[in-house]
Amino acid sequence: MALLEALSGAPGGGTEGVQVTFARPMPVSPSYFSRQPEFNDSFVLVQDLARRFGRLPTLPPGQAERVAWKTKEQYRLAIGEAVKARDYAACIGLVKRLHQIHPDLMPEEVKQGIRPFKRDINIYLNTPKLMPVDRFGRSHGVGKRKSSIARAWLVEGMGEVLINGKTLNDAFGRVHDRESALWGLKSMDRIDKYNVWALVEGGGTTGQAEALAMAIAKALVVHEPALKTPLRKAGCITRDPRTVERKKPGHVKARKMPAWVKR
Amino acid sequence: MIDSPLLTGISIKARRALAAPARQACLRALSTQPTPTGVADLTDPILQPPNAQTPQPPSIFTANAKPGTRRKRPAAPDTTVQDYHRALDLKQQLGRVGSRVERTYRPADVFLNPPGPKDVTLELLMASQAHMGHHTSLWNPANARYIYGVRQGIHIISLEQTAAHLRRAARVVEEVAYRGGLILFVGTRPGQTQIVTQAARMSRACHLFTKWTPGSITNSEVILNGMQMQMLDEHDEPIEGFHRHLNERRPLVPDLVVCLNPLENYVLLHECSLVNVPTIGVVDTNTEPTWVTYAIPANDDSLRCLAVVGSVLGRAGEAGHLRRLDDAKKGSVAWQTPLDVQKFMEIERQNAEKDAMKEARNPGHDSLSNDGERGQKKAAADSLSQEFPQIADFNSSSSR
Repeated sequence: MALLEALSGAPGGGTEGVQVTFARPMPVSPSYFSRQPEFNDSFVLVQDLARRFGRLPTLPPGQAERVAWKTKEQYRLAIGEAVKARDYAACIGLVKRLHQIHPDLMPEEVKQGIRPFKRDINIYLNTPKLMPVDRFGRSHGVGKRKSSIARAWLVEGMGEVLINGKTLNDAFGRVHDRESALWGLKSMDRIDKYNVWALVEGGGTTGQAEALAMAIAKALVVHEPALKTPLRKAGCITRDPRTVERKKPGHVKARKMPAWVKR
Repeated sequence: MIDSPLLTGISIKARRALAAPARQACLRALSTQPTPTGVADLTDPILQPPNAQTPQPPSIFTANAKPGTRRKRPAAPDTTVQDYHRALDLKQQLGRVGSRVERTYRPADVFLNPPGPKDVTLELLMASQAHMGHHTSLWNPANARYIYGVRQGIHIISLEQTAAHLRRAARVVEEVAYRGGLILFVGTRPGQTQIVTQAARMSRACHLFTKWTPGSITNSEVILNGMQMQMLDEHDEPIEGFHRHLNERRPLVPDLVVCLNPLENYVLLHECSLVNVPTIGVVDTNTEPTWVTYAIPANDDSLRCLAVVGSVLGRAGEAGHLRRLDDAKKGSVAWQTPLDVQKFMEIERQNAEKDAMKEARNPGHDSLSNDGERGQKKAAADSLSQEFPQIADFNSSSSR
């Protein structure tokens, strides 16, 4: 608009209008002729900062605020340039070193310079949502094992158990499954102090039983947080990550190869 | 004799007497809690419902439980900042005490206090190893005129030639910067990044420390498509209103290329020669000097030498830039607007005149002939109607 005003003012001999007679196009970034101008500008800045402020006192290792840095792919997506892995590794190494500077002594330009390499959301600041005991005295826990998902609600009571509306003996035929479903309560001597009402779906009996154990243990932790460590030692808190391995092409099953034939 | 009933009776009693306290001792050693009996206490849950007392974890866990925090808190308060400031104060007070060591070489000096064209001396060039050429068997005979002699199997470059050519190249850079040209400093070997970026920063130029993409000059419409440009006036202030032109125009081509390692950048120099872009290059004894327009015979394998060359040329560019701005303040501008920009400005001027004529012909029809003004008014009206819906209603009803 300034140009139009200036131009329209020019033929009329306007006294106020700024006359643009000289204009030359120039690059915005000094890295105009490189393929990654934005990254190269950042990289040059970070190198410069590391040179100038690399000797400021640092925090002892492990004391600095934990920051989620962008991975190479995330950075590439964010700025839309095909940054080389080696260059990004060199740059992020300098950035992490700059981040070690004592926060009370860190200059503002360092904070600005390393900002493009931080993720928008710092996942390390996330805190798990607390699920307190509700007004009916119930605590809720979710557990998984293989492809089973269990939800359990625990109320203080006499040791009654209902799983999908059935009693424990009806729900699980095997003694071993009954034992593992209530393993958290049993190992903590709490079998006769809580009533369990649970829903399980998916998977087979073993998976359902062990998913229940996890759900009940998590619900028990809500009632008695001090039991978390013993329950973890009893193996009820940790999710067992083993699941069915996928079948691969060229294999009969996940790993089985077809029989070798001579011809 | 031994199996007499008396003795057996005594021995059994003694065994019992010995055994009983031993069992208790073992249990005591294992736990301080009352030991649970094998039979579950059935009366307990009925008599004592769990909400009557706060449930405690089983004794085996409380006995072995670790403290809640594993990390040890630092006992002493953090005095890093105070220590740092004290150290700075002490250094300020005591730093100059003691003997002074003169004439030390610090590699960062050339970046902290970059030498300009006037600081080019044979001593400086010699100190920065500009005279060291390559093995005599590797030489390019076209460089014979730059070679002073042979020593210990390598060619020695004549530093008088180096200084003269460096000063000439500095003149070229200064004049190109004075005329508002676009200079590109190229150094693609590892370690040349700082040299190139500093030269570019001083002379407001471009730098390249990564691979030259072949075709960035001869195929620039494809390679440099979408790179950000801006329009500058004679005071180097950005001008608004050229968005359409900047989106449509061809990418920029450098007006001068300074190459610190011509051997690895033959493609770049060849492209420059195709479109008549002058080039400056550091030519070692094994380099072909005709690849570049203005050769600087010097050692291109020494970063120290290249830092001197780069800072001299950067200072020259800075001088030209400052001279251009000074002259612009005085009213004399040594460069002309490029032809395509002139054309765009002429078209815009004609369009503005046409709009003015239209407005003069029928002023009552639509007083807002200008798209931009109309847009602004519309936006203002929209924001008004958002804030005060009654006004919007009133406006619409009155227009009806």
